Amino acid sequence: MSLLKEPPPGVTVDVDQAHTKLTEWVVHMEGAPGTLYEGEKFQLQFKFSPKYPFDSPEVIFVGENIPIHPHIYSNGHICLSILTEDWSPALSVQAICLSIISMLSSCKEKKRPPDNSYYVKTCSANPKKTKWWYHDDTV
Amino acid sequence: MENNQTADSEETKSCEYDPNVNQDELIMAQEKQIAEEIKANIAMVGELDDLSSLEREYSNDPVYFSKVATLLPKFSNVRRTRPDGNCFLRGFIFAYLEYCIYHREELTRFKQYLEASKEELFEMGFPKFTTEDFNDMFMEVVTDLEGSGSIDRVEAIINDAGTSDYLVVYLRLLISAHLQKNAEFFSFFIEGGRTVGEFCKQEVEPMYRECDHLHIVALTAALGVGVRVMYLDRGEGSSVVSHDFPEDKDPVIHLLYRPGHYDILYKA
Repeated sequence: MSLLKEPPPGVTVDVDQAHTKLTEWVVHMEGAPGTLYEGEKFQLQFKFSPKYPFDSPEVIFVGENIPIHPHIYSNGHICLSILTEDWSPALSVQAICLSIISMLSSCKEKKRPPDNSYYVKTCSANPKKTKWWYHDDTV
Repeated sequence: MENNQTADSEETKSCEYDPNVNQDELIMAQEKQIAEEIKANIAMVGELDDLSSLEREYSNDPVYFSKVATLLPKFSNVRRTRPDGNCFLRGFIFAYLEYCIYHREELTRFKQYLEASKEELFEMGFPKFTTEDFNDMFMEVVTDLEGSGSIDRVEAIINDAGTSDYLVVYLRLLISAHLQKNAEFFSFFIEGGRTVGEFCKQEVEPMYRECDHLHIVALTAALGVGVRVMYLDRGEGSSVVSHDFPEDKDPVIHLLYRPGHYDILYKA
């Protein structure tokens, strides 16, 4: 849809896969030039429930390269308020991608969240089952 | 005494933190269960009830009971809404569409406003693909009411989750747009060191976020629709305080506020 026609820079949808299963998409994303992630390639997986758009999609990083970032856990889970608490049905996939790119772009130091090893061991496979604490909007 | 202590310690034991159980999942499961119960038992907008039903509700509460009594000569009926954080918006749009059915010129005006609002939202950077979808649904509803418009139809529309939630989302976008257009003014009323934009992302655009004073000021100003809210609370005095939004407009909708919740009132 609009993401196919006018995607944010560095973003493409895996069309073949989206065609086989409409409720599951993979989006390819490139680190923006001039940022710590320049030249890196990532994959984001979107899962849509039957309640979408009133229920947010489940969005995680998948594949070999999970961005090293203070809000991204090594299992691909992302701590971003619009994906749970602050989800609005008016947010498009495009808007989510833009938020994630901007989160990556404003990062000043590549590191994992401080509670990464504990969280990855204890969390559910679905990040929406975590009650996230959002505290830091600066990175 | 001793019995009490045993009971206490047992209770503490059953609530003890179990590291093998995912606490987040427990909390969320419980929140979900409460929401599901409300959903199963209370219609999004209920049937027309006699105002005396409010008196019965407070037969054991002298403060509320005497305040409800002062509402009785002015209002005859109440329609209860589901307490899910969308109650103001659902109550508002129900009462407004009901008003429009009896005032067709207002329905025409509202339709023109809706049509124009879409472009304005696009210009302000709201996601086109989704915004259009919500606007389309609203236009469909208004067009439908232009034709067959009856109160039964409004009841059916607002109690159909698929439709009703779309209308609620679009009203949230209209509020957000109005707040952001007048950000300089509204910034003085926002708590917690947040910008107007951040406030909209956190408190306006997400579903189920309760509507406060600011939301109501913005919505009524954006739509140019007068709302009178009757505040039923434990505040001083024996009468119910009312407030008109916007102040200079004759109210066409009356809502009853009780801490954290809005229902629709009907004039006698």
